[in-house]
Amino acid sequence: MAWQVEYYEHGDGSVPAAEFLDGCPRKIDAQFNAVLDAVAAAPPPKFSGGGKWEAMHGSMGGYYEIRLTGPGREQFRLFCLLENAAPAELKRRGLASPSIVVINGMRKPHRTTFTDRDYRKQVRALGEQHLANMPRRLAR
Amino acid sequence: MSHQSFHERRKAERMRDAEFRGEYERARGEIEQIDSVVRSLDELRETNGTSKAALARRIGRNPSSIRRLFTAQSNPELRLVVQIANDLDADVVIVPRRGHRERQGRDAGHARVPAA
Repeated sequence: MAWQVEYYEHGDGSVPAAEFLDGCPRKIDAQFNAVLDAVAAAPPPKFSGGGKWEAMHGSMGGYYEIRLTGPGREQFRLFCLLENAAPAELKRRGLASPSIVVINGMRKPHRTTFTDRDYRKQVRALGEQHLANMPRRLAR
Repeated sequence: MSHQSFHERRKAERMRDAEFRGEYERARGEIEQIDSVVRSLDELRETNGTSKAALARRIGRNPSSIRRLFTAQSNPELRLVVQIANDLDADVVIVPRRGHRERQGRDAGHARVPAA
């Protein structure tokens, strides 16, 4: 069964991941879409995403990232959560089917790292907000 | 009534741009090829009745590296793919496309990656 791709919507109506993608080079935006669609078509635990889709660890455990390299070896990352549960629970969350929820993205120059503060502010804070929303608040 | 998601609407809008569409289709093709190699290995492993743990032992790898490979939790390393293929008595083969994509000056025929 194919999954849906959904985008987290912030309380102010903004969609952080869509804003991030809008600011990416067009080819990077296209590649992110291609990976999302491939993973949604063959969802976990199947191997999917051409090696660009990876589970995160440590303080980012539970999140998945799509890792892409752009012009000048700039690094682009898109962070996602997976929502899968029994149909009744999915319905309670406002989801029609299991979903990949795109939370936000970040970019950085080659050979630099994101700090835990970056992850906390740009990803985990939004992810926690998403999971606290019942039903989920998703871009429509 | 069909409901188009935000993702589908956004993508459909961008697909009107030739550069986006071309890159999307190229990337989907590339991803499909990589996924198909890893899934084929996993299917072969299951057909042979080999557990991931046994496979890891036989090729001298940590069981978690095999588990991660087959569940898309890490980027597949070509050397590991070849090691697994070798253990399962299979080869990783590159097949040149025929027809209009064939480029002049390139060698024709099959290039075989030896399962070392």
